[in-house]
Amino acid sequence: MLETSVEPVGSGRASLECDDLRVTLAGAAGEVDILNGVRLSVASGDFVSILGVSGSGKTTLLRVLAGLQQASGGQVLCNGIPVDGPPQGVVTVFQDYAHSLLPWRSVRRNVALGIEDRLSKSECAQRVDEALEMVDLQRAADEYPWRLSGGMQQRVQIARAIAMRPSVLLMDEPFGALDAMTKASLQDQLQQVQALTNTTIIFVTHDVEEAVYLSDRVVVLQGRPAAVGLSLEVELERPRRQVATKELPEYLKLRHEVYAALGQASAQ
Amino acid sequence: MTAVLRRINVVGIAAMFSVLVLWELSVRTGLVTFEYIPPPTRVVAGLGEIISSGELTTNLVHTLTAAVVGWAIACVVGVLAGLALGLSRATWTYSMASVDALRALPIVAFVPVAVLLLGFTMEMEIVVAFYAALWPIVLNTVAGLRSVEVRLLEVGRVLRLGHRGVLWKLRLPAATPFIIVGMRLGLSVSLVLTLVSEMVGNPAGLGFALLQKAQSLQPEQMFAYIVVIGVAGIVLNAVLMALARLLFPGQMAASGESA
Ligand SMILES: Nc1ncnc2c1ncn2[C@@H]1O[C@H](COP(=O)(O)OP(=O)(O)OP(=O)(O)O)[C@@H](O)[C@H]1O
Ligand SMILES: [Mg+2]
Repeated sequence: MLETSVEPVGSGRASLECDDLRVTLAGAAGEVDILNGVRLSVASGDFVSILGVSGSGKTTLLRVLAGLQQASGGQVLCNGIPVDGPPQGVVTVFQDYAHSLLPWRSVRRNVALGIEDRLSKSECAQRVDEALEMVDLQRAADEYPWRLSGGMQQRVQIARAIAMRPSVLLMDEPFGALDAMTKASLQDQLQQVQALTNTTIIFVTHDVEEAVYLSDRVVVLQGRPAAVGLSLEVELERPRRQVATKELPEYLKLRHEVYAALGQASAQ
Repeated sequence: MTAVLRRINVVGIAAMFSVLVLWELSVRTGLVTFEYIPPPTRVVAGLGEIISSGELTTNLVHTLTAAVVGWAIACVVGVLAGLALGLSRATWTYSMASVDALRALPIVAFVPVAVLLLGFTMEMEIVVAFYAALWPIVLNTVAGLRSVEVRLLEVGRVLRLGHRGVLWKLRLPAATPFIIVGMRLGLSVSLVLTLVSEMVGNPAGLGFALLQKAQSLQPEQMFAYIVVIGVAGIVLNAVLMALARLLFPGQMAASGESA
């Protein structure tokens, strides 16, 4: 932790941590505690998944980590620096893809949104093409996003994040709208990107298999207000393979443990 | 080209044509006996007369110049005022009461004031057209700037677009369809109020011609002028929409006005 904290944000490596994080939101029936005492420490280059039943506060936690939501207690440190507002190099992929794209821009220009003013035209075009290829959307590059399926729109959002070359990628159920085949292929693309760039990834998902398959660590939110109930190291060999890895006894054991923790969470 | 053809409403044109035929028949068979309602064929003849005498061109140019110049100034001033009101909380708080009060005043009531101040001049017409178009443009610009979804503003923060980027890449593009709607409304009220200012103020242009033809009992020519005014309004609107689609294809397509 200490070595990584001297890394400047945006250099391609970054850590993220929070301790005793508390979030209170104004609901219909007054103030509601959503998160209480959340402790999380994600080292540079780590892949951490956050699981929890619907409404447990995963999106809320991710928004606080992203600097989009103020914590009511505790703070988030990005490379040791307190976060107040989205830090440079930390890019979020939102859960509601339909509202996160600019309907008046083509797919290509949506992906270029964050880099078009920072890079030369040709560099920008090249990065956009790379990102689109990664999510297999080259053929839709000139379409408007609202003409695409939900899964394709989500991939546009992912491409836009990747084109930024983030040091931390925060993803909120990014593959929720995809079919099994596309999902598997994007999971493996994401693995590859991370192996190449050493991006820190915090990944919210509903899918236990996906969490175990991708992560270095799986974190389960439990309770109301939620805190980290289970934090499980996943020490499966990399690169992981869709079929081979999921047949390992170690994988099956981890999967079982996460399901058990989630069952406990929903029983509360 | 096919897109243009597809936009032509065949059924609508057929219906309009039948009404014209019905009108012609009811006048000719004596079903309708108003002395001053000429059948369409006579209106066409009247149109021929005002074209060949050259008065139509003069009047048309006069009125359209006044309406379009006033409207164009209103577009610039209206969008700028809309930006000031929509982007700055302080400007909004200080001026919204005045905006609401002024807007509630019927625009026609402003015509005698303009005549008193500027006399029977073209400038008076332009000022009236300007004032008429100003409100819809200002209010729609404000509404447009407020229409940006919260999530998109968050995307802007995450991608670190900065204040300028958020304005140019998010707020203004999101507001564009609204601003266009304001400009369309503004254009039609500009034309109407220019005509009114010619009827009660400056004796020139289409508005005054209309009045003159009625008073000198020339209904064929009067109806011909009415037709011309209607067509002028339709053409102006079509030109504006074509320009908007050309300049802002993405925004127009996203708001349902396909390019
Ligand atoms: N803006 C808000 N104001 C008040 N309460 C909110 C707000 N947003 C979310 N909540 C509440 O916070 C709780 C957690 O919501 P959150 O969206 O973080 O859940 P989640 O774990 O992401 O759920 P899902 O898996 O369904 O996406 C919910 O009970 C929700 O009602
Ligand atoms: Mg959520």
